[in-house]
Amino acid sequence: MKIKLEQVTKNYGNVQGISNISLDVDSGITGILGPNGAGKSTTMKIILGLSRPSRGRVTVDGKDPFSDWKLKENFGFVPEYDCFYEHMTGLEFVMYFLRIRDIGRDKAENMARTALSELGLNNAMERKIITYSRGMRQKTKVARATVFDPKILIMDEPFQGADPTTRGLLMKKMTEWAKKGKTILISSHILHDVQSLTDNIALVNNGKMLAHGNRHEIRNLINVPRPITIVPVKKGNLRKLAKRIIDEEWTKGTTIDEENNELTVETNQTEEVYLELPRILQKEKITIEKIYSEDDSLDSLYAKLVEGAQWK
Amino acid sequence: MEIIGEISKMPATIQSLAKRSVNLFPPIAKDCTHRLLVNKVTWVIIAILLLPCILGLVIYYETNNDRQVQEIDGEKIYYTNDGALIHEEKREDYEYQSNLIVISFVAIIMAILFSSELINEEYENKTMQLLRTTPIHSFEILLHRYLAGVICMFGILGIHSILFYYTTMIQSGTHGILENLDVLLTILKVLIFESIAFMAVFCVFAIYFEKPFLIGIIYWIVWEGFVSGQNYQKITITHYLNSILFDSTKAMGWKVKASDYNLINSKEEIIATEPLIAMIVILIVAIVALIIGSRGLANRQF
Repeated sequence: MKIKLEQVTKNYGNVQGISNISLDVDSGITGILGPNGAGKSTTMKIILGLSRPSRGRVTVDGKDPFSDWKLKENFGFVPEYDCFYEHMTGLEFVMYFLRIRDIGRDKAENMARTALSELGLNNAMERKIITYSRGMRQKTKVARATVFDPKILIMDEPFQGADPTTRGLLMKKMTEWAKKGKTILISSHILHDVQSLTDNIALVNNGKMLAHGNRHEIRNLINVPRPITIVPVKKGNLRKLAKRIIDEEWTKGTTIDEENNELTVETNQTEEVYLELPRILQKEKITIEKIYSEDDSLDSLYAKLVEGAQWK
Repeated sequence: MEIIGEISKMPATIQSLAKRSVNLFPPIAKDCTHRLLVNKVTWVIIAILLLPCILGLVIYYETNNDRQVQEIDGEKIYYTNDGALIHEEKREDYEYQSNLIVISFVAIIMAILFSSELINEEYENKTMQLLRTTPIHSFEILLHRYLAGVICMFGILGIHSILFYYTTMIQSGTHGILENLDVLLTILKVLIFESIAFMAVFCVFAIYFEKPFLIGIIYWIVWEGFVSGQNYQKITITHYLNSILFDSTKAMGWKVKASDYNLINSKEEIIATEPLIAMIVILIVAIVALIIGSRGLANRQF
C-alpha cells in the first residue's frame, strides 16, 4: 500500500506542527528521523487519520485516512505513549482490539495468544497491564498493532524503553514483516536503531522535511566535504601519502592523526576518491589496513542537515 | 440527493451495525462496566443512595409496634393510630422522595459522571486514539459506550429503587408492598427514560467539551432546573419525564395536580405532554444526541 503526503502543513492554532511536507512511502521500512518535537508524531497522526492537514493532502492508496474509517483495517499503530486499559490483562487488551474488529471470541483469543507468545509474553499475558514493565508494555503495544496482520504498520518510537533483548526481537520482527511486503513507517530519534533497519529515511526538523530517500544518496547531495579516513599499515607512510594526495583535484583538505596512524581526506567527490586511491596506493607502494567514512552514518548526516548545510 | 442516498443506505447500515454488535458490544460493555463500577465516585453515590434505605429500616424498627393491624381475607393491613392506611401514606412518601432525591438529583450527577468516565477518560488515557485507528465507526464507538452507561446507570438506580421501595413500604406489610408495585414500576419507567436521555446528552458534552462535568452542572441548573419550570419547558428533558410521572400517578388513581410536577404555564394552563409522545421525544433526543456525538468523535483531531 502506498502512503502519499503532498505539501502537508499542520497548524495547531498559531503553532506550526509540520510545514509543507511531501513524502511517498511504499512497501518496506521507511524511517522518519528527527529530534523530539521535530514533527514525526504529527506526520504519523496525519497518515493515520487522527489529525487532518491544515493544508495539503494525504492519501493512503488514494483514500483520505481521516474520513475513510474502513481504510483503517489496514493500519497497525504502535504509539509512542502509553495508552492502555490498565485494568485489563495483556491478553484481554489485545483481544479487545480484535473483537472490535468484529472477530469472534475464540478466534480473537487464539490470535492474541499467538501474537503475545511470539513477542515473549507467554507468562505475562494473563497478568494485569498495570503490573507490566516498560518492555512488556512495548511488546503488548506491538502485539496489538500486528496481531491482525496489517498492511501498513506505523510505529512511533518503537524502541523507546525497550531493553536490548526486546529491541533485537522487535528489529527481527520488523525485518520479517518488511520482507512480507508490508509498508512500515518507523519514527525514532535514535538514529542507530533505524540505520540498522533501513537505508530509506526521511529527516525532519522543526516541522520541515530536510531530506528523504536513500541515506547514501542524501549524503551525496550535501555540499559539505566528506571525510574519508585511510589507515596505512606502516606508520611511516602517513606523511608520504598525505603529500601525494594533497595535490589531487578532489582533495579539499587533509588531517594527519599520528597517534592513531590515520590520514583523513576531506572531499566533495567521494566516488573519485574511491576510484583514484587504489591507483595512487599502487604507484606509491603503500599498503593500507583499512579505509572508512564515519560520515556515512545517520548521526553525521542528520547533524549536517540540522546545522543548515548548503545544498547543491 | 446525497441525503436521500444516505437515507436509502440506512436499513443496510443499521443491519450491519446490529450484526457487528454481537462481537463489539460484549468487550466494550465489560470494560465500561468495570471502569464505572470501580470508580470511587460511583461508590460515593451508591453510599448516598443507601442512606434513605437505611433510614427507612431504622424508622421501621422504631415504629413497627405503633401500627394498628386488621386482617381481611387472611391479609394483614396496617393502619396508623389515626386510622389512615400506612401503605397509602408510604407510597406517596416513596414517590415524592424518589422524585426529589433520585430522579431530580442523583440520576443527573450519575449521568454526568458516567459519561465523563466513558468518553473523557478515553481522551485523557489516549485510548480513544487507538480506537480511532481501528476500523470501527465513530457511531459504534459512542453507541456501545452509551449503552453500557445506560445499563449501569439504570442498573444501580433500579436496584436502589427496589431497595428503597422495600424499606419504605415494609411498614405496610406484605399486602402494602404488593398492592403498590405500580408506583415502583412508575419510578423504574421514569428512571430508564431518564438514563436514556441524560446519558446521551452528557455523552455529547463529554465529546465536545474539555470540562464536561462543569458544563453538565451548568446545563442541569440553568436548562433542566430553571427552564423546566417556565412556559417553554417543552424544550427540556425534565418536562417529558415529569409528564410520564404525572400521567402514571394519575393512572394509579392518585389525587395529583399538574402543578405538583411543574406542568403548568404562567397562565396556570396544563402543558403536560402525552406519555407516549413524551417517551418518543426522549428516544428521538437520545438518537439525535448520539448522531451529533458521533460526528463530534469523527471530527475530533488529536
